[in-house]
Amino acid sequence: MGENLVAAVDPTPIPGPAWLFHVLLVFTFILHAIFMNLTLGGTLIAAFAQMVSGGRSEDPRAVLARRLMGINTYGISLAITTGIAPLLFVQVLYQQYFYSATILIAWVWLFFLVLLMVGYYAVYVYKYKSVPAGRGGAGWLGFAALMFLLIAMVHVAVNLIHSQPDKWAAIAANPWSILGDAAYFPRLVHFVLAALGFTALVAVWWAVRQASVGKDVELNTAIARHAWRWALWTTVIQVADGFLLLFVLPKNVLLGVMQGGLATLGPLTVSILLAIGLLMMMAKVSNPVEKAGAVNGTLGAMILTIAVMSITRHQVRELYLEPFSSQYTIATAPQWGNFILFALLLVAGLATVGYMVRQVLGNRATGDEAA
Amino acid sequence: MDYPLWDIAIGGSMLMALVAVTHVIVSHFAIGGGLVIAVTETLAVRRGDHEMRELARRSSFMLILVSTVFGAISGVGIWVVAGLISPSAITALIRNYVWGWAIEWVFFIVEIVAALVYFATWDKVSKRVHVMIGWIYFIAAYLSLVIINGIVTFMLTPGKWLETGAFWDGFFNPTYWPSLVLRTGITLIMATAFMLLPATRATVEARPRLARYLGLWLVAGALISYGGYRWWEAALPETVQALFMGTSPALTALAGTRSFLMWAVAATLALAVVFLLLLPKTARVPVAILVMLAGFSFFGGYERLREGTRKPFLIHDFMFSNGIRVDEISKLNEKGVLSKARWAAHQAGDDTIDQGRAVFRAQCASCHTLEGYQGINALLPDDPDMIMGVLFALWEQGEAYTSLEPGQPVDKAALDYPYMPPFVGTEDELAALAEYLGEVSGSGTAVAMREEQ
Repeated sequence: MGENLVAAVDPTPIPGPAWLFHVLLVFTFILHAIFMNLTLGGTLIAAFAQMVSGGRSEDPRAVLARRLMGINTYGISLAITTGIAPLLFVQVLYQQYFYSATILIAWVWLFFLVLLMVGYYAVYVYKYKSVPAGRGGAGWLGFAALMFLLIAMVHVAVNLIHSQPDKWAAIAANPWSILGDAAYFPRLVHFVLAALGFTALVAVWWAVRQASVGKDVELNTAIARHAWRWALWTTVIQVADGFLLLFVLPKNVLLGVMQGGLATLGPLTVSILLAIGLLMMMAKVSNPVEKAGAVNGTLGAMILTIAVMSITRHQVRELYLEPFSSQYTIATAPQWGNFILFALLLVAGLATVGYMVRQVLGNRATGDEAA
Repeated sequence: MDYPLWDIAIGGSMLMALVAVTHVIVSHFAIGGGLVIAVTETLAVRRGDHEMRELARRSSFMLILVSTVFGAISGVGIWVVAGLISPSAITALIRNYVWGWAIEWVFFIVEIVAALVYFATWDKVSKRVHVMIGWIYFIAAYLSLVIINGIVTFMLTPGKWLETGAFWDGFFNPTYWPSLVLRTGITLIMATAFMLLPATRATVEARPRLARYLGLWLVAGALISYGGYRWWEAALPETVQALFMGTSPALTALAGTRSFLMWAVAATLALAVVFLLLLPKTARVPVAILVMLAGFSFFGGYERLREGTRKPFLIHDFMFSNGIRVDEISKLNEKGVLSKARWAAHQAGDDTIDQGRAVFRAQCASCHTLEGYQGINALLPDDPDMIMGVLFALWEQGEAYTSLEPGQPVDKAALDYPYMPPFVGTEDELAALAEYLGEVSGSGTAVAMREEQ
């Protein structure tokens, strides 16, 4: 280990036991990952689908693009909103690593907000200008997809920098050197493929639901088949990339995973089995509309895979940082009353969201009230 | 200061001001807009007033475009910038108030979902349900203000927290309630300022009626803001009041900001009365822009004043703007500031100038650039002895803080440099800084001159 450039641990105690913040960090990251995957994967698929549709608005791929982006104007908002909590909890546990990493690539890190804003507004332009005007809008979608892809690159960079303080001196001298990290591109590809695979399955699930109630059966069948191929092939590549990602980990991290017993091998094994199971389920089905049960199961398995992989991701970070974090202990002064207040309000907040959704679904406008 | 150093030409504090002011304008609109839109739709449904309902509808589109995109992202931007320029301060804040922020996040989720549902369901759900969602949106948005107001005011007036370290002592601090009233008024001003634009798109017959209606909100906002502001002033510690109030304020620039915001709130009130209540037919885009300018000036002036009165602290009486804590002064005077500033020390060479540069980066660079915003070069005296004199005065100023009992506020008006944190470090570090500053200013160095003599 070279010169230790990690900031001294703040003497202020954290207001709860560390395990609680680890749980909250992983839990809220999973929530964020779902909407983040929809944002990135949805925009990439929509851009590609719109492009290959040849500008024909009735082409199933153009309809798929409109559907995905119809969700995305809301999904992006929820990706931002759910992203706040992991950003908060990561700062509780890893502030001396996280802040240093972001400062080392400060302009790039700051720029991700600009990318997000212009990408988001490009999606709105597509939805409210291109679609009503009957124009393709592939340009706006491609632009938004590029913005979101760049954001993924920024986040992968920050993640790798903050977990490797022994590389900070080199990164301070040349911030772009992080792109040469053996894990950078496999990790980026891993996240992009997860986003594509998950979003494709959501699109299939939706099309199958529509077809099952007799709505535009031919169109929905075509959309489901198209999206199913996305899900299948991205998962095939994902399995290969997942193994590559495992073997480009630094030796101490890889050994930590392998020798961590049930705690680390459990989630890793489950996620590998789930991925292989997903592949087998997808390979068996040629027309998803005829196999609604398999589609539901596949989507459920995909969500579970994302959740379990999020645990592994967190454990890998801990192993990366172990040489540094083992040198100190973080003082704690739990504010249990405040935590309980937060937990109760979280339940109440989610109940309020559920109540709103129920009210909306159960009180459709009729007669004069309908537009 | 224990972190890598980000050299930014416009200055970290200026960047933060740009992000924060634009964010708070939008976020306060999001809250006040929630109330005014919910009330407007409620009245429109009861009265069967189509134009009022259209005003609510158009305003909700603006709310979505401005608040859920720019507002949400710039809100994250405040954290991002704070982490880049003041990582020590944001760490201290998060460790004390993470549950406060977590609770605010819950309200934010409800707020965002309600906003999206509200906008997406115009004419698609029953009016009763739609109105109800509007109210849920407003309540969640206002509750997020109730929470964040506690954390923001804590930074200026931590109150009993300095002695107890207790969450709620810092949260319900001396300026909590005045600030909440003030910000409630500001939310109404921001709502009216933004909603006047969609109101100009109403029919010619309806426009004066809607202008008068929004004028009443603006009058209420201006009066509540003014009352809240005066209460906020009165709640400040006398040592802070002395900086910008009274017949001979210690900081005339800050006193000027106070006058400016008073005029701005008066202008807001006058615009509301004249153009919206008395001459509502004139309420077109130029009037809307004037209202925006007056309202933004008042709000921006207040934020500038609040930040100004907090200097040289990030958390008053606890942590200075360069991340050094009050309780560290004695230790760092003994061990040297570079013992804490690992990155500044890492990037420094061995000679005195390099050491001085490292001390500058550790202690001064959070507020001063070399040539850009608050450029130190333009502020330095020509005489190198005077540079040394200023640094000595700042060094001695540290005693004003170390001699305090916990919870006892420093009398900033009695300091030579009330805006500046004390110089902290060893005598060698002070000499090295003086030498470096002499080099920067091109005036030679006090040490070198003494040696010549």
